[in-house]
Amino acid sequence: MTLAALPRRARLDLSIPVLLALALLLCALVLLPLGCLAWYGITDKNGALTLANFALLFSERTFISPFVTTLGIALGVALLSCLVATPLAWLVARTDMPFHRAVRLLVMASFVTPPFLGAIAWEILAAPNSGLLNQWYRALFGLDPYAHLFDIYTVEGLTFVMACYAFPYVFVLVANALERIPAELEDASSILGGGRWHTFRRVSLPIVLPSLLAGALIAFLQAMTQFGAPAILALPAGFHVITTKIWSLFQFPPQYNLAAAAALPLLVVSVLLLWGQSWLLQGRGYTVIAGKSGAPRRIPLGRWRWPALLLAFAIVALPVLLPYAALLKATLVRTVSEPLTLSALTLRNFRFVFLEFSATRLALTNTFILGIASATAGTALALVAAFLTARRLVPGARLLGFLATAPAAVPGIVLGVALFIAYTRPPFVLYGTLWILLIAFVTIELPAAYQQLQAALSGLHPELEEASRILGATRLRALRQITAPLLRSSVVATWCFIFIGAIRELSATILLTTADTKLVSVIIFDLNESAELGAISVLGIALLFITFVTVAIANRLPARGRAGTVP
Amino acid sequence: MAVVELEHLTKRFGAQTAVDDVSLRVEHGLFACLLGPSGCGKTTALRLVAGFLAPDGGAIRVGDRVLSSAAGVVPPERRNMSMIFQSYALWPHMSIAENVAYGLRLRRLPRAEIEGRVKSILAVTRLSALADRHPADISGGQQQRVALARALVVEPEILLLDEPLSNLDANLREEMRFEIRRLHDAYRYTTLYVTHDQAEAMTTADLIVVMNQGRIEQIGSPEEVYQRPRSEFVARFLGGTNILRGRRVGDRLVDCGGIVLRCGEGEHGRGEEAVVSIRLHDVELLPDAATEERTNEAAATVARRVYLGAQRDYLVTLKDGQQLRALTPLAVDIAVGSAVRVRLPPVRCRALPA
Amino acid sequence: MTRTSLLSAVAALAALGASLAFAAPAPSPVTPELVDAANKDGKIVFYTAMDVEVAAMLGKAFEAKYPGIAAQVERSGAERIFQRVGQEYASNIHAVDAIDSSDVAHLLYWKQQGMLAAYRPDDVARWPHSARDADGFYAANRATLSVIGYNTKLITADEAPKSYADLLDPKWKGKIVKAHPGYSGNIMTATFELSRALGWDYFKKLGEQQIMQVQSSTEPPNKLALGERPVMFDGNEYNALIVKRRGAPVAVVYPSEGTPLVSGSAGVMKDAPHPNAARLFISFLFSREGQQLLVDNGQLRSFHPDIKEPADRVPLSRIKVLTADPAEQEKAIEEIKRKYAEYFGT
Repeated sequence: MTLAALPRRARLDLSIPVLLALALLLCALVLLPLGCLAWYGITDKNGALTLANFALLFSERTFISPFVTTLGIALGVALLSCLVATPLAWLVARTDMPFHRAVRLLVMASFVTPPFLGAIAWEILAAPNSGLLNQWYRALFGLDPYAHLFDIYTVEGLTFVMACYAFPYVFVLVANALERIPAELEDASSILGGGRWHTFRRVSLPIVLPSLLAGALIAFLQAMTQFGAPAILALPAGFHVITTKIWSLFQFPPQYNLAAAAALPLLVVSVLLLWGQSWLLQGRGYTVIAGKSGAPRRIPLGRWRWPALLLAFAIVALPVLLPYAALLKATLVRTVSEPLTLSALTLRNFRFVFLEFSATRLALTNTFILGIASATAGTALALVAAFLTARRLVPGARLLGFLATAPAAVPGIVLGVALFIAYTRPPFVLYGTLWILLIAFVTIELPAAYQQLQAALSGLHPELEEASRILGATRLRALRQITAPLLRSSVVATWCFIFIGAIRELSATILLTTADTKLVSVIIFDLNESAELGAISVLGIALLFITFVTVAIANRLPARGRAGTVP
Repeated sequence: MAVVELEHLTKRFGAQTAVDDVSLRVEHGLFACLLGPSGCGKTTALRLVAGFLAPDGGAIRVGDRVLSSAAGVVPPERRNMSMIFQSYALWPHMSIAENVAYGLRLRRLPRAEIEGRVKSILAVTRLSALADRHPADISGGQQQRVALARALVVEPEILLLDEPLSNLDANLREEMRFEIRRLHDAYRYTTLYVTHDQAEAMTTADLIVVMNQGRIEQIGSPEEVYQRPRSEFVARFLGGTNILRGRRVGDRLVDCGGIVLRCGEGEHGRGEEAVVSIRLHDVELLPDAATEERTNEAAATVARRVYLGAQRDYLVTLKDGQQLRALTPLAVDIAVGSAVRVRLPPVRCRALPA
Repeated sequence: MTRTSLLSAVAALAALGASLAFAAPAPSPVTPELVDAANKDGKIVFYTAMDVEVAAMLGKAFEAKYPGIAAQVERSGAERIFQRVGQEYASNIHAVDAIDSSDVAHLLYWKQQGMLAAYRPDDVARWPHSARDADGFYAANRATLSVIGYNTKLITADEAPKSYADLLDPKWKGKIVKAHPGYSGNIMTATFELSRALGWDYFKKLGEQQIMQVQSSTEPPNKLALGERPVMFDGNEYNALIVKRRGAPVAVVYPSEGTPLVSGSAGVMKDAPHPNAARLFISFLFSREGQQLLVDNGQLRSFHPDIKEPADRVPLSRIKVLTADPAEQEKAIEEIKRKYAEYFGT
């Protein structure tokens, strides 16, 4: 009767042990560094319990003022991001503005751009005296040498630059929400006599409001926890934000306990913000960057089509077009403030970076390896974690889900401190290896990856896996042959997301790299100390090139079968 | 031999007991239907058999192998069963042929044999022309047949079906019932079929297992459970019936208020309360309203009359306000508001425990 | 270990060293055996606080002379190098072969921790005694001055400041760029020397001039070249001269109050993974060839007696220099950082 016994190998089902091992790994990944961090925060140099760190933190002016500055900047960034992202998202998602795909692509380009690189580019553009924009301004109006229109070395300047690279978060959430509005809802309003503007204001806007607020919270969180842009711009401006302050505590003589203590308030605020965010989105979680389905109804703009496009380009010029142009110019001349003439052209910067500067190749290789490894390991881990929780396969699956999202509340610099403490002493001495960076990147990117895949997975009918199980596939095989391919687009999006994140990362990296584990982001930061703008620009453009090419390739991997769902 | 036995099977979800001490034996080659309203535990029972769930108590046995018990569960992939899901669960990223071949590949059959078997099952299920299409590109009925082909091609000992027809339209559903039964007869595996549709159960099953609130109400052939329901729930669930409640006044004699009924069969419980069931088409309506009172007869008024094509559907009101429904031949034609005599033949009246 | 305790330990050691401890090693020439052994090592990792391009050039020159050995040059600020080596050794990672720092106290500390190997290339035998370790663990491989500078496009030579006192003039408000002693060893030394020569009151007033603050001492000359600020308060002379030679509108001023002299020292690590290559590299660094390279291309000042001084710069003999006693400077570090944060806000 039986056709053929299932092969013997299938009898050895490693699924449960493997899944449990990954669950344990997840715990270790998140709990170990955070535990170390908390412990350091409440002890002194000799390991004795104390609250002195916090007392110092909340009494010393040099600590309080960075906290206040940081909150102010974060608020500014959140507001600015919403103000810019909402109209842009509406234009791109819901109107017949020409080239809306190109505009969307440029917004994604600003998401991909590391904020520290953007900050350096904006130094080139808007430093009060040498900034290109200020030079043109002076030349145009024949003003005296020190007159300037912009000064990037200010709190406002830093806020602006950070908003440039935080607004895509708001944009994506709002644009996706706008696209999800069923046309029927708007029709219902129109049929009752609501005009186009009325419909937008009374129907569409309230529907996307939660997404807008959630985006604002993310922008706030990004600005509060970012290290890259402040590290470039805050010192010349003569102030500290909390992340640069924590970093300065690592200078000789290092004050790890104080650094850990200073990191904890950041952690608390992050947790609160994420609570707010998930409450607003009510479990809808992150929206996948790449996800987009169905064509939304587009509102005709009439004669406003081209002015709208002009506005959209003006907005994306700030984070992308202008900075990229500035970087490109810097690669080609000796001193970036020189006019771009034929005689000023030089290949010196390229020669220096690729032939003379010995760190380049190592850093490029490391960055590439780490980007790929983090993206792959992170995606796999997030997929398994999402699988475990969505299918409730192990006891305490909910807890696992919480663990996977917990790192979202840990700012990069805090994680850097935590990992440094956790992995520089026995039993885990990983400092000085690429492993510690891999751990850092995977941990940092895990929450977003987990939420993306979790959302995708809960949209996938469990019976698809069960059908494969009952025919003889183990859990892991079902995950590999059925679930993963069906989640392909989400998996690729997640992979790219982590890859980009790893390339952009500076805050944890700066504390964790050594000579042998240099990354491009860190040598850019080091070169910035020497004001080697030409070399920085060459490396920055190389970095962006690697990113774009990798993401493009990842998105073009041959699809197996076809997408499509069974009703 | 694939004799499926459930022994005191129990499954709880939190405070709720989804399957409550269920025992059942399905002989090899039999087609058994788990029938009941949604939430009665039938799907949970099926998923326990498949091995997707682990029981909290009791055991599942196939032949002399214990597959599930509270102590441990053989995973689904080692049970040599097949299953057809309510959603069909066809894999959208594979073609029809790939979907069907999947189970054979897992069994590491030679390529040529896989091809041959896929070809023949596609022919049997009349899908040969669609082999290279993808599930999203074919109709619902065709998807249903692909699910069947995929489940049957591995020649399982046991086939499980979970509401397989609920997503099809009425015509197709009827056709597929016979198709499923035909394939069962052709291959003679043991079939467990879950449905909430009593007509589906009647037309396909050898054995109907009526479930309610996690427990088995009655097991029997379609005729048995229809003709001789052992509880009010079974009587109601298996199709149109009138339920009358009353007091026992003698052996199988029940005073239902407006009417005293002698029951030809069935058994009452111990208490004084009693329930009587009579199918709608067993109720007779007589135009002569004037005759004297007799057992199993009562005077009534026609409250509603509906023409059904082959029959008429009446609602009549007894003197005490109780209402009864009757399905009559077309020849019985009484205007709304007329007085009628209702007759419930004793042989059709079934006594049930209250 | 804090710096203060470090210093007392170093002082005690120095006192002891005079009587016994280490015998100064005999000068070691570059022998064919050393070259062979170094070739077997195949690689040398050099941590340095020198300017990134000069350091890279040095590495390339070494590779050109010894093609079998790859020179990996890791450039960072002196403070970050010190921190990094500490982190690495605490984690038992021995990546670095030879090391250079602009802060001689770092070398002292490493020597005292037993992290350095005694090695004196034969050229160093001709060094002034004040510019080398008596026990042969390290020597000054370079020196530079922390100079005032200005952008010649924005300021004429007449307008340019001639002294530190000139920089307090309100006309320079918002026009000065300056590096940070918390990030740069050179600036720490220079700030120490200036705080002794000019007094802290001077810095208090300077803090009101709306200084643009950057990290490394290599950065102000570049900001000057860009025209971001017309005047730099401090910064490496060699960087300024390099960008000037490259055609940037930069001029250097040796202030009348005196110019801080900052020397950088280098040595071989005891646990170097490539010990022979490390020795060969250090010999190359201190050779006339290596030193002339630093002078010609790097515009550094050298203690090598055979060096040919470039024609386009003022020789050291004609500059009034300020020098620091490392031990004294060591004691003042916490004070300098505190005062600095107070006056400059960072």
